[in-house]
Amino acid sequence: MSVAVSPLEQMVVVLARDLADAELGAAGAAALVPMAAIALAREMHAPNLTVGGEMFFNPQPGRLYPSMLDDRALGHCEAAETFIELFGHSHHGLDFFFHSGLQHDAYGNINLHHVGGTLHAPKMRGPGAANLSYSHTSTRFYICPTVHNARNFVEKVDFLTIPGHLSGPESKREAGLTNEGPRFVVTPRAVMDFDEKTLRMRLKSVHAGNTPEEVQRQTGFDLAITGEVPQTPPPTDEELAVLRQRIDTTGALRV
Amino acid sequence: MMTIDHKMNPTRQSKVMGLDDAAILARDALRERPDLCLGGLFKQGRPVALVRALLAAGAQGLHLYSSPGAGYDVDLMIAAGAVEEMFLPGVTLENRLCPNFRSAVEGGQVTAHALDALTVVGGLMASANGVPFQPIDALRGSDVLKHNPLIREIDCPFTGRRIHAVGPIRPRVTFLHAQEADRWGNLRHLSTMVYADQLMARASDMVIASVDRIVPDEVILDDPTRVTVPSHYVKAVVEVPFGAHPTASYPNYAMDEEHIDAYADLGDAARVGDRAGLEAYIARHVTEPKSQDDYIKAVGGPEYLARLEAEARDR
Repeated sequence: MSVAVSPLEQMVVVLARDLADAELGAAGAAALVPMAAIALAREMHAPNLTVGGEMFFNPQPGRLYPSMLDDRALGHCEAAETFIELFGHSHHGLDFFFHSGLQHDAYGNINLHHVGGTLHAPKMRGPGAANLSYSHTSTRFYICPTVHNARNFVEKVDFLTIPGHLSGPESKREAGLTNEGPRFVVTPRAVMDFDEKTLRMRLKSVHAGNTPEEVQRQTGFDLAITGEVPQTPPPTDEELAVLRQRIDTTGALRV
Repeated sequence: MMTIDHKMNPTRQSKVMGLDDAAILARDALRERPDLCLGGLFKQGRPVALVRALLAAGAQGLHLYSSPGAGYDVDLMIAAGAVEEMFLPGVTLENRLCPNFRSAVEGGQVTAHALDALTVVGGLMASANGVPFQPIDALRGSDVLKHNPLIREIDCPFTGRRIHAVGPIRPRVTFLHAQEADRWGNLRHLSTMVYADQLMARASDMVIASVDRIVPDEVILDDPTRVTVPSHYVKAVVEVPFGAHPTASYPNYAMDEEHIDAYADLGDAARVGDRAGLEAYIARHVTEPKSQDDYIKAVGGPEYLARLEAEARDR
């Protein structure tokens, strides 16, 4: 490939590889990277993967859009549903979902409501979130913000909009969060996962061009780095060709 | 046999109404109870012409509901000073935050409750179905549950498990936008998504719909399965060309992202103290136009909007 792999393309490839054939999942609100990941998985190894749970089944958008709740993006789809069916999907859950927010904390909790102050007297008010349920009724979810710095990766969120692992296994049990919750955190810099015992976030791999030290410096809590941190496996030539020629035909992931 | 006199044939009343009359009808109903609900989702199928007309008619102190995703129109109502409380899960322009929403909440001028999609959809379901509450068993672990004013914890009478209940959400007025209707108010959404519009129609006291065009009765009768909201639920229908602008009305016209972005820039300037541009925007688009034709001229005229029609065709 002549053009260098972009950070967003690297994110897409990491996420796509973790989606299995015949699963049911949806992209969430900030859909550019998740939708590309789903499309790439379907092209590469998961032809029976169903996109559903957000009022449309198996859209064929022809290019990537920033929002998938958009008739341009889902106008060509196999079937449409409404918010009435969304109510049912939210209870039954999906296999996978994607989230990102204003703040992400050491346990994978996400804040979309406010930074500083209180809910009704916030220093900065965020957008809020529509669907809170897929984070725990779905088998698992991925956290994939397109920015990674010490301001949006903080020890503790100011407001807990989307539950991740709360404050660890015991708190999850108490709250009745019985599914896996966040599996990976994939950012433009690195991949993080969660310690099996404590459920705290830790650095798993860094993308080409990043060092563990720099990723730690851009994160507002300790990433539990011990020993060598591997490099994230880069996209294969085939993954990149499929991604650029069939999915991201307008280069939205390379802006 | 008796002869059938012409007088024995009463005429069915058309529900077609002008934009200004519809706005006054809504404004007066909302003075009784200020709960207004908006159909569509984010930048699609939003009844923006009705919203502008309602603002021009002087509505105040509104309590807003919507499908779970709202943006431009809500922000505009806040900018015009017409909103008191919001029961909206997500308020965003998607590619950026809603500037007036942000500054009004941060400044304490409006109350934005923390809610989620299931609370809103469940509350509308309870109202539509005529039951005292809708159970929800998919809310856990979020701070939203501590603040959400519309839910209560209950014991499930079958499993004994602690679950949530949401009471009926009954909008006094719901504004919808559909692509077509007949004169009796049977609505047809031709867009791929119908959002929560059907649910809201059944949950509300009064539904007022804008449509891109009124079609002959035969169009509806030829294909009753295509009717998304039967006229039974609709109080008034208004034919408004580009009535959803700057949001989209697929398949007829696309969203006007440039317009919304330019508006948001003015909102951001207002947020840091320079309100002149925003005030001029509101005057130009909300208070000064005497008709939808005036509005279309103000946003760039039919030639400009033809671009949005082309984009919707070519998608």
